Amino acid sequence: MTKRTFVLYNAIMISQEKLTLLTESAKYDVSCSSSGSNRKNAGGIGNGNAYGCCHSFTPDGRCISLLKILLSNDCIFNCRYCMSRSDADVPRATATPDEICELTVDFYKRNYIEGLFLSSAVCVSPNHAMEQLLVTVKKLRLEYGFHGYIHVKGIPHADKLLVTETAKYADRMSYNMELPTERSLKLLAPQKSRESLLVPMRDLAREAQEFKLEKRKGHFLPAGQTTQVIVGASPEKDGQILRLSQALYRANGLKRVYYSSYVPVVHDSLLPDVGGGALREHRLYQADWLLRFYGFSVEELLPEEENLATEFDPKCAWALRNMHLFPVEVNRAPLEALLRVPGIGARSAYKITEARRYAKLTFEHLKKMRVVLKRARHFITASGKFFGTENETAVRGLLSAGEAQKNAEQLSLFSNPENAFSALTGEL
Amino acid sequence: MIYFYDGSQDAFLTAFVRAFHDPDARLTSTRCQLTLGQETVFVNNDPACAARARERLSSFDKHFAHDLDRLLRSGSESKDAVAFAYFQLLAQKKRPVRGMLAESAVLAAEELMRKISHELDRMHGFIRFTESASGALYAPIAPDNDVCDLVLPHFKARLPGFPFVIHDVKRKKAAVYDGENVFYAPLERAEVVLSADEDGWQSLWKSYFSAVNIPSRERLKQQRSYLPVRYRKFMTEFT
Repeated sequence: MTKRTFVLYNAIMISQEKLTLLTESAKYDVSCSSSGSNRKNAGGIGNGNAYGCCHSFTPDGRCISLLKILLSNDCIFNCRYCMSRSDADVPRATATPDEICELTVDFYKRNYIEGLFLSSAVCVSPNHAMEQLLVTVKKLRLEYGFHGYIHVKGIPHADKLLVTETAKYADRMSYNMELPTERSLKLLAPQKSRESLLVPMRDLAREAQEFKLEKRKGHFLPAGQTTQVIVGASPEKDGQILRLSQALYRANGLKRVYYSSYVPVVHDSLLPDVGGGALREHRLYQADWLLRFYGFSVEELLPEEENLATEFDPKCAWALRNMHLFPVEVNRAPLEALLRVPGIGARSAYKITEARRYAKLTFEHLKKMRVVLKRARHFITASGKFFGTENETAVRGLLSAGEAQKNAEQLSLFSNPENAFSALTGEL
Repeated sequence: MIYFYDGSQDAFLTAFVRAFHDPDARLTSTRCQLTLGQETVFVNNDPACAARARERLSSFDKHFAHDLDRLLRSGSESKDAVAFAYFQLLAQKKRPVRGMLAESAVLAAEELMRKISHELDRMHGFIRFTESASGALYAPIAPDNDVCDLVLPHFKARLPGFPFVIHDVKRKKAAVYDGENVFYAPLERAEVVLSADEDGWQSLWKSYFSAVNIPSRERLKQQRSYLPVRYRKFMTEFT
């Protein structure tokens, strides 16, 4: 009845302690997406799902898509911010490739996960660590017949051949920049250099392109590369970080840059004792989305030596600085202009361009279509009508995220902008 | 007039044709509160009539069959009214109306279909299989919409040769894949004898779930919005 050709049920179950230890050290890596690869099932188990899939959500609100685990937390590097650094007094563990493979296949079969996110401390030497990663993913693909998603971390300073070989079996690889400048790297991660991270990234990007051009058989990182930057452990400004991201997107064709607000897990005189805060991380992601999907360039968003505004989202801040471009008429504005309206995202912009082919849109229509007008109404007209506030200072006041402002005034039925608006449109 | 039908596609189409010119038409497949003086009629399934309607509506919009299937799967009480208004508009315009988002009928239908697709995506992630002693996988679900059989192809593609059962305990039916063939059957309840390793893997998963969490960043509201509590009933990590 079964067509399985790859059956290896030795039931090598990893121990609870080892699993916990190797997960605890991997969890601060924020990358978790499983999208971008539609690897087909070719006998065995699993396939890729190009849209990605979230399997669970932990109480910190993050999704579990992949089994995020270290092969080993026994590290020779001494990066100050890392809980597995060599001079930390923590229990050490190393899993065998078979333990990882069994765990992946059995979790996958029960639909707990979409695939494996495999990383490792620099165990023994960079080459040894990379080799162990390669052995594990190769085994998982060839012996266990696993076709689900695999994300492998690149180890800095590892041999190029090992990295290239790994890329043939992984769906995605990533080298973590961690710190945006060479200076911070020197200070906090002395064994890593900018070169040891950027060169392999560039090599992989080039090889992936060659692979595509020559239409070679098999796979070579179908889901591309990503990286991660820690925010708040070093003094770099958002402007600097986003310039790095833009350069990586343009030059190395990276799929994503992840921003991880620094969580103080170790105490060190060189590191801040408080975390980076969720808002800064959130604003960075918003700006990142603007770079990737909304046609913005970082130069439009902020100067190099500044941080993103906390009271407005980056698009809103940009629009407030460029009030001369607004309002735009929703019935005529090109898609690119709609995407630049604060509060209108890709989905709303698409809805508007679809709907206006059939009818002249009014504010009523937009409301019914669930286009969020809280911010947008100051920047658009619908059939020539404008329901926003002309005065830029007033708009600033209305849109700033500060709660205090909202509560400071005597409340009336119309003092709340939403109410005032629904009164105008006749809903109230 | 209120038109009762049995919930099947053909009966819906028959009722659709009969109610088309009735300005006070209300279609329903569920029990509903009757108001005084309202006439009711039970519409019997007329395959020939349904086939004609299907062909005609499909000629206006090639996605008609898909939309009909999706809309009638909705768990919403208003699904019959929404589907009726949507297809009525289609019949009037004689061309696809999907993009006419300024029309309330289209918006309502889009909303229901979006909910179904969303739940389908959620099911792909949230279903939890337990392994039985025979090696077959069993997953109970209780979705808002009738998506049990729509979920199956996703798992069939990734687990070829692994027999599994997806059991909708709310609607008392199951989608079954025996490793080769697919079939759907009514299923009241199921007894599952767990495999020897099942407990071990389940407790490893629970350990993983708690180890990967960062407690200093608790955001329960966000967790709840991504993973509503009603889906947690059958998820290993929450039991």
